[in-house]
Amino acid sequence: MPAHDVLIIGAGLAGQRAALAAAQAGASVAIMSKVHPVRSHSVAAAGGINAAIAIDDDWTEHAYDTVKGSDFLGDQDAIEIMCSEAPGEAMHLEHIGVTFHRNEKGELDLRAFGGASKKRTAYVADITGQAILHVLYEQLMRHHLTVERFEEWFATSLILDDAGHCAGAVARDIRTGTMEIFDAKSVILANGGNGQCYKPTTNALICTGDGIAQAYRIGCPIMDMEMVQYHPTTLAENGFLITEGARGEGAHLLNSEGKRFMEKYAPNKMELASRDIVSRAEQTEINEGRGVGPGGQGIFLDITVVPKKRVLEALREIVNIGRDFAGTDITRDPIMIRPGQHYIMGGVKTDVDGQTPIPGLYAAGEVACVSVHGGNRLGANSLLDTLIFGRRSGEHAAQRGGELAMPHAPVSRLREDTDMIAAILDRPHDGRRISEIKAELGTTMNEYAAVYRDEDGLATAHDVVHRLKEEAASAYVDDRGTVFNQDVLGALELGYMLDCAEMTIVSAIDRKESRGAQYRLDYPERLDEEWLKHINVTRNGDGEPGLSYSDVTITKWQPEVRKY
Amino acid sequence: MAEFTLRLRRYDPESGEGPFWEEHTIDLEPHRSVLEGILQAKDRFDGSIGIRCSCRAAICGSCGVKINGQPDLACHTHLERAKRRSKDGIIEVEPMGNMPVIKDLIVDMEAVHWKKIRRVTPWLIAKQPVPEREYIVPRETMVDVTQSMACIQCGACVSDCLSMEVDPEFIGPAALAKAYRFVGDPRDAQHRERLEDLAEDPHGIYDCTHCFQCISACPKGVAPMNQIMRLRRRAGNDFHIEDRNNGERHERAFVSLIKRNGLLDEAELLPRSYGGDSALAKFKPSAAAELASSLPVIARALLRRKLTPAAVLKPHKLPRADRDQIKRIYDEVDGPDERVEFNIYISGKDEDR
Amino acid sequence: MKVAYWPGCVSRGFTPELHGSMAQIAPLLDIELVALDRASCCGAGVIAEHNPELADTLNARTFALAQQAEGTALMMNICSTCQGSQSECQERLDASADYRARINATLADEGLTYEKGLTNKNFLWLLVEEIGLDALRERVRRPLTDLRVGPFYGCYIVRPADRLGIDDARPRETYLGQVIEALGGTVTDYAGTHKCCGFPIITMNKDASLKQAGRHLGDAIDAGADCLVTPCPLCHLNLDLQQPLAERTVGRDLGMPVLHLPQLVGLALGLAPDQLGLQRHIVKPTAVIDWTTAVVGEIDSATAAGG
Repeated sequence: MPAHDVLIIGAGLAGQRAALAAAQAGASVAIMSKVHPVRSHSVAAAGGINAAIAIDDDWTEHAYDTVKGSDFLGDQDAIEIMCSEAPGEAMHLEHIGVTFHRNEKGELDLRAFGGASKKRTAYVADITGQAILHVLYEQLMRHHLTVERFEEWFATSLILDDAGHCAGAVARDIRTGTMEIFDAKSVILANGGNGQCYKPTTNALICTGDGIAQAYRIGCPIMDMEMVQYHPTTLAENGFLITEGARGEGAHLLNSEGKRFMEKYAPNKMELASRDIVSRAEQTEINEGRGVGPGGQGIFLDITVVPKKRVLEALREIVNIGRDFAGTDITRDPIMIRPGQHYIMGGVKTDVDGQTPIPGLYAAGEVACVSVHGGNRLGANSLLDTLIFGRRSGEHAAQRGGELAMPHAPVSRLREDTDMIAAILDRPHDGRRISEIKAELGTTMNEYAAVYRDEDGLATAHDVVHRLKEEAASAYVDDRGTVFNQDVLGALELGYMLDCAEMTIVSAIDRKESRGAQYRLDYPERLDEEWLKHINVTRNGDGEPGLSYSDVTITKWQPEVRKY
Repeated sequence: MAEFTLRLRRYDPESGEGPFWEEHTIDLEPHRSVLEGILQAKDRFDGSIGIRCSCRAAICGSCGVKINGQPDLACHTHLERAKRRSKDGIIEVEPMGNMPVIKDLIVDMEAVHWKKIRRVTPWLIAKQPVPEREYIVPRETMVDVTQSMACIQCGACVSDCLSMEVDPEFIGPAALAKAYRFVGDPRDAQHRERLEDLAEDPHGIYDCTHCFQCISACPKGVAPMNQIMRLRRRAGNDFHIEDRNNGERHERAFVSLIKRNGLLDEAELLPRSYGGDSALAKFKPSAAAELASSLPVIARALLRRKLTPAAVLKPHKLPRADRDQIKRIYDEVDGPDERVEFNIYISGKDEDR
Repeated sequence: MKVAYWPGCVSRGFTPELHGSMAQIAPLLDIELVALDRASCCGAGVIAEHNPELADTLNARTFALAQQAEGTALMMNICSTCQGSQSECQERLDASADYRARINATLADEGLTYEKGLTNKNFLWLLVEEIGLDALRERVRRPLTDLRVGPFYGCYIVRPADRLGIDDARPRETYLGQVIEALGGTVTDYAGTHKCCGFPIITMNKDASLKQAGRHLGDAIDAGADCLVTPCPLCHLNLDLQQPLAERTVGRDLGMPVLHLPQLVGLALGLAPDQLGLQRHIVKPTAVIDWTTAVVGEIDSATAAGG
């Protein structure tokens, strides 16, 4: 039975960074992921990573931009930590091999990004996430003696000991179907967000909120779940991401009249205002009949204004995406985009060391809510978040482990999960198909819990999710085998997604104001007096989730009117 | 919407049966991907169809398969195009080659691909001292290594590597492209050690058969074979590593024979490849054994008048004036000055400016 | 048509029957060959591996000589490897005016200049695209009836597709089959048609090299081919010259005749096997020669030779 000081679930940037940090701090480490680590969704982060490394920049400016971007819902102590540690982290990445692009002097080149007052985004063409993820995996291979890898293992539940501490996880080897208990003094959740609750989404099929739901199910509070980011530039047809780097390099947004409509909404920053603002502006243009394409449901992103040589060097990937997935040569023609679900600002509530309120349970990356993004994340802050808080979690968990004895979960815990899976396999063939339920969830969320929201729509979504939860309990699977049974894992993931969706809906209903990504048509103003606070959701058996509130930490920057 | 029929290669390791083909008809717009087609079949008809996939946008590298016999990402191939390329209008999807199949379209990447990746010491061995800030390196070098960094480890090149087909121990295109990512990186401290290792390995850089298959297979433009050729160039030309596989000697002999005659003198190439770049090479013991094993072939060629003794002894060559020009070009371009490498990946094409 | 003709090295060295047979069939196809006898070796990928600028300069010189050849419509080669190596160099030369200028400065001593946009086609491409399959069919004197021919392209002429101008409009990776059929033969499909003969690693990993050759030959035999045809003399070296060694490596008798493309065309145009140098092959193309003699009586060989 595997036993480690630190068990990390998820092997994207946060997980791998945590593993390397914990191992370096002397802990025995296991890192587990339901996909091979380089398939993790961090791979899709395109544009870059923010760090105030330019001579004329300062981390406090980065912090202020982040606070403002968050619509003042971000916790400023955490933001200060993230931004002040960013330059060191960027240099660390550079030193272990990330191939950051250089300027003519051979120094790190920086590009402009949304919501930033300076050029502050280091990048590798438009495959920054991939480049960093693969370099971290290189380091995992290098440190294979101290970090044990469990690739293509699916964590089925977290283990709580009698004292209410998290003491490991139960997991299934996808390849063989074998179930195992993983004892661990500390567990770090690093398994990403739940974008698959939406359809379409820029998120990968694996982003099913496993960690958020599993933490929720053992009683951990989940924070800011109403804050769901819609990215301003996703392919109109299928929701694939077009990096913000395109606008960073100078691309324009145009409506059906050929106008750069951002003049109206953010006259100073134009296309590089924060994402919530740009997405809302686009949606307004579309709703008011100035959209382009079929049904006027799109907006033009015009990259032709960027010199072609620069596009081919720095935006190679979206040249491919345009060609392969939209049939558009972005160097010649504008491409049709629209706002699309992209990121979950909310997640498992943690402190600045990744600790959740449950002792022994940590979270880092998109699964977590520290909260550094508050109501709206700035572009190129997500990679930073994963790395800074991944590292801090890893270090803290390693340290914590030193004082503790290795826990031993009773074998009955293994049986519970084995039985749960057996029960799914035994379901009669008369329910709905999992894929149907998932599709209905996605379209429902995208209709009612999107850029614009109101009470009625959210109530409708609430009803639908309740019904889907009932249907999911009897949804049947075709695959009865043990080797690579993706079907049965799909049933588990569906359960996680429904939990996450419910949390988003109840939080969005509760927050009767507009802030960041939450825009309530029925409450269009930001109301600091009442709502400058986080909403925490906790599980309440099978009843309605419980809601509570926590303060926003303010250090230097008092809330002010937000203009770009 | 249009109908497409997929013919999927299925294999259930628990059934005790061998692999079999299964057809599903799906309904999607023609420019949707083969992956979306497979997922529709999985969603609508049979949830047990096994395929790894995640991002759907050709960046995570999960869904490498063979479509109509050609390796690619399922998410990167349009249904319409796949249908057009099929032999009978049915899109055939099967697992990648050169790797064991686990289930349906899922292959054992760990047993082959990742093992080979780990073979090339796949991490930066940083030059000391590590600077406080970033290493200052030429702008172009980071654009250059980004080409190999763009590899998403999908295995398409491994699937169809023709050298690996006959020599499973060949380190292979993906791992060698990964190796170039360090050899081309000015921050790495062990270029020579890496190159010696890969040149001396009988299954290393000189085991590539230069067939371009990996260049065609790669969905991300990594051009692994080009990176392998650059590893050879750096090993032989920059570090003068004389490998035991005749790789460097062969290259040097070829290049110098053209300098001498303007045309290739095949009869001299073989002995020099084994024995070194000199007219006496054929008399060296290292060459003798190899040449002896080729003797029956040469004898037969002479017998058939395919080769005449005259042709073997007096190679064809260019007229004197042209030979002089060739020598002059060599002196100007292949002299001791720094080599100029025009790389379209870095510089782009004029029409793209 | 008049073409600047680049025969390559091996067609005049170890496979002299290739150059010879091309010279025999050219008049029958109304191709006037203006030989580029001052041009140097294409480098076969090896010089480019050593120093790309050197390969580019040598080939730019060849291209410049071709552009000087008066009255020629284009440049023609008879070797897959020449085609591929030269296309690679040309891609670089055509990509950048600055780079071209640099290379041309080296050529200036000789008064040579390469101007962007040369057309350089392998004989196979020229057959299909310039002469045309219909015109070819009309010239057939001795249809290859009942001859089962396996195509073997050679890597350099089929990959990478974009560099070689292969697309749906010009499916050059299917031309050998089309030509075989136009000549009246039957195409034998087998696993190795587009694979590697193994020649590039014959000195580095002989076993792997010969395994490749042996495997493809064996697959062709299993598929029922009477012979293979290839537009690449280097493939011919591994598939024919080395076939006895390949037999030993794969542990089976092969005995598969391998023809050069001009030889196959020549047979269909009515030329006699010995005019095409078939007797010079290591693997005696008995099946093909027997087949030729079986049908040769039907042809007035004087007519055939005269076109």
